[in-house]
Amino acid sequence: MDVTDTRPGMIARLRRSPVGRSIFRSPARLTPRDRAAGHWSNFFLHIYPVKMRRREIAFRYSWYLGVFSTVLLGSLVVSGIYLMFFYVPSPNQAYTDIQTLQTEITFGQYIRNVHRWSAHLMVLAVAFHMARVFYRGAYKPPRQFNWVIGVVLLLLTLLMSFTGYLLPWDQLAFWAVTVGTEMAGYVPFIGDSVREMLLGGPVVGASTLLRFYVLHVAVLPSLIVLVLMVHLWRWRKDAMLDQNTMSDQNVMSDQDRSER
Amino acid sequence: MTDPETPVAVNRPATSPDGRRVLGMVPGKPVAGDRKEPDEQDLVMVWPHLLVRHAVAAMSMLLLVLVVSVFFDAPLRSVANPTLTPNPEKAPWYFAALQELLSHFHPLVAGVLIPTGIIVGLVALPYIDNGSEQRVRYRKVAVAMFTLFLVAWIVLTIIGFAFRGPNWDWVWPWTDWHGEL
Repeated sequence: MDVTDTRPGMIARLRRSPVGRSIFRSPARLTPRDRAAGHWSNFFLHIYPVKMRRREIAFRYSWYLGVFSTVLLGSLVVSGIYLMFFYVPSPNQAYTDIQTLQTEITFGQYIRNVHRWSAHLMVLAVAFHMARVFYRGAYKPPRQFNWVIGVVLLLLTLLMSFTGYLLPWDQLAFWAVTVGTEMAGYVPFIGDSVREMLLGGPVVGASTLLRFYVLHVAVLPSLIVLVLMVHLWRWRKDAMLDQNTMSDQNVMSDQDRSER
Repeated sequence: MTDPETPVAVNRPATSPDGRRVLGMVPGKPVAGDRKEPDEQDLVMVWPHLLVRHAVAAMSMLLLVLVVSVFFDAPLRSVANPTLTPNPEKAPWYFAALQELLSHFHPLVAGVLIPTGIIVGLVALPYIDNGSEQRVRYRKVAVAMFTLFLVAWIVLTIIGFAFRGPNWDWVWPWTDWHGEL
């Protein structure tokens, strides 16, 4: 079909100019088929399906709690990287580093606040996301396993928050982590060795701080991003299904889907 | 022209928005019936319908964090001191329910069996409540069990977070505040 873009307006005119054509590289998408193709070939949109059911994009369906969780994760990564520039994970330095951060570093106190409140809000958002998905019955076939991945993400979120809790090395941090890790010690047979492995010694000390720091800034963020990618990928794959007509028996295979 | 009942001059050449000439317009309803009402099950394009909503949601949450951070500072107590145990000794708020349970049950029950049971239960949930029916009224048992768990957990968290003071004794948060964020 030959449809020429004659729309008025600055953006449309920019798109038709030689510079605009070099940026966007493809003509404006005017027909639905064209738009779907445009979505499909956009790198930044590849985590989204092309179409979704009207019912499922409304606020009342999901309360957008997954979006909230993801945004908070983004806020935590950005603010956390800023904090890393001013922090050394050693008992002699950690606490004074936080004091310096709050009193001398530009936006130090503010970025620390953003990191702290984002962390608490993310635990809440993830928990509410789980509850919302439950009441919506959104884990019904064929989405069961994405619920399981979500449980893993909840646990990773808790671990992220808990390991970060120790880093300011104040009384609040020290004793909260002491209480928290005591629970691991109650596991029969392996409890004490698990606890010692976590703490790097019999009590919370210098090696605990270093271990929690490495877990907090490297190991757990990588894991959470990896698992989140799988979570979103599965969400996208299933997002166009009509769950009302689904059961275990008529779940489409990937081949059925690609033929559709 | 916006009122469908008003007759439109059909013999005057009109111009459509893209500049092409329109030969004629016929007033009234189409033969095939009215315009299709949007259906809840219709597939709509994610761009713009969902992406605009997601962008608004994302920016609202970001705004909330940025504004809260202006008015509330993250806490920083005195430097860690392994010889000075605070009373009460509190875990982070999301473990407050577990800590509250620990004060009632044997550590093996409250610290190991219950958390393990919760995780196993959550993982197994979609395979236990495995019918294809999504609506709440067709899966009353699962909904009742989950709600019971959720309410109990929230109540325990609030008790452990706000209603426990020195020696893990009961306090009223409005007279004696011991919650820590």
